Amino acid sequence: MSEQREQFTSRWGLIMAALGMAVGTGNVWRFPRIFATNEGGAFLIPWLFFLFAWSIPLLILEMGMGKKTRKGLVGAFGTLIGRRHAWMGGFVAAVTTMITFYYSVVAGWCLRYFFTAVSGGLSRLSDADAAQQAFEHFATSGWALPFHLLAFGLGAWIIHRGVVRGIEKANKILIPLLAILLMVAAVRALTLPGAERGLQFMFAIDWSALGDYRLWLEGLTQSAWSTGAGWGLLLTYSVYARERGDLVRNSLVIGLGNNSMSMLAALAVLPTVFASFPTFEQAFEVATYSGPAATGLTFVWIPILFQEIPFGTFFSAVFFLALTAAALSSLIAMIELITRILMDLGMVRRRAIGVVFAAGFAGGVPSALSLNFFSNQDWVWGLGLMVSGGFFAYAAIRYGLNRLRADLINLPGNELTLGRWFNYLLGILVPVEFGVMLVWWSVQSFSWGEAWWNPFAITNLGTCLFQWGIAVVVLLAINRWLSERTLGPAGTHPGQGGTP
Amino acid sequence: MTTGSIITMIIVLGGLWGGFAWLLRSAIRSEEHRDKGSGPQSTTG
Repeated sequence: MSEQREQFTSRWGLIMAALGMAVGTGNVWRFPRIFATNEGGAFLIPWLFFLFAWSIPLLILEMGMGKKTRKGLVGAFGTLIGRRHAWMGGFVAAVTTMITFYYSVVAGWCLRYFFTAVSGGLSRLSDADAAQQAFEHFATSGWALPFHLLAFGLGAWIIHRGVVRGIEKANKILIPLLAILLMVAAVRALTLPGAERGLQFMFAIDWSALGDYRLWLEGLTQSAWSTGAGWGLLLTYSVYARERGDLVRNSLVIGLGNNSMSMLAALAVLPTVFASFPTFEQAFEVATYSGPAATGLTFVWIPILFQEIPFGTFFSAVFFLALTAAALSSLIAMIELITRILMDLGMVRRRAIGVVFAAGFAGGVPSALSLNFFSNQDWVWGLGLMVSGGFFAYAAIRYGLNRLRADLINLPGNELTLGRWFNYLLGILVPVEFGVMLVWWSVQSFSWGEAWWNPFAITNLGTCLFQWGIAVVVLLAINRWLSERTLGPAGTHPGQGGTP
Repeated sequence: MTTGSIITMIIVLGGLWGGFAWLLRSAIRSEEHRDKGSGPQSTTG
């Protein structure tokens, strides 16, 4: 039975959807804090370097794989590098699926804070201690559950409407809305007395800080997590891309657009922080405050700081609506990724969405009830994204980098084509970055006081190896079934480099 | 703000936002240009 596959109606529609995929809470929530923690202006250099040295090459590769194979992750890996490697696509999908479970909880937190901001509830928080207690009570008492359900339900409903009426239409609204809201919040922040101290912090480059390897690794990590490169999300959306369309230019638009949104978010947050405190030290402490499950700046300090500026209730509602739009636009990409794989396995779309909705809600319940569980999952699967990026690079190398450029990237009608230099970028630099980053994060975890091998610790190497190991063993065990269901019985499909 | 910070701000924001806007505009224009010669697109494959 041949499935009638929808396509994005225009390049604008695809780009908006892909931007929605890339721009998420990592831009609005994580970036300002990481930016502040890592020397301010100096951080911009590694962050921008790795946009071009990690994120954009992987985005180009993902887009090429999706367009070439017209399959979700499992089918794409199986088609490109052989059926016995389909499990690698399964691993990437497992990582993004596990992230989806707790990401929906985060989207629920954003929704709840938006509603509370609109109702004026945030103005009742007297100080940061009260704000932190309120957040911890909300995030662990069961109140996060209905908001998790609402967020996942909204995402599933959009996916249910289809690629054009659902994904494309929602992102055509959410992304311009997000940009406008962040601009409004940034203009408000920049017009506060003392905001220039925030700008000075953001754009003064301490060149000596560039000698610190940690700055480079944080830049790489932020770029990898924020752009969505290596998650398989752009691969999934590219299944629905039109035949024509320049995937190199599209990937550049997505990468630059993602980082542009991050800068807007930083301009909304950091000048507000610096304008709110008389001394640099106080402002710096707040800007870098991690708090429970790294929620400190966003869910503890932002509600307090925005209340203290003129029209604070309005602007905190604007901020949390922007955060909600960012979270939702990424969540729907994640739900589509899982749905696409189930459809490739033979399930009809409506049923696949039902399964994803039920599993997604159930999978997020532990994170909606426990910040420790949430932190563990964020650690394990956030780090798992590095492995996902490594698998993509492996697939490219195994397929052959010259062949990859010819078959998947430099297609007829492309306005931008890639030369041999791209081979070195994807075949050498990206794998080296992957190895260095994985080792660095693992070594970091040795110093955090928990026995590194303990599989039940919250954040250490042991819990990563344990959970990744389970995923790999299960996927290897079902690899044959996965590839046969996705690509048909062995012998009926070329399995390597063929056109499905 | 120091002069160095202002220059960095202009380079970073100008490069990012300007580059993004230019690429987005040229991507949309090139599609419009191609679509003019090829008629309407189907939304199903």
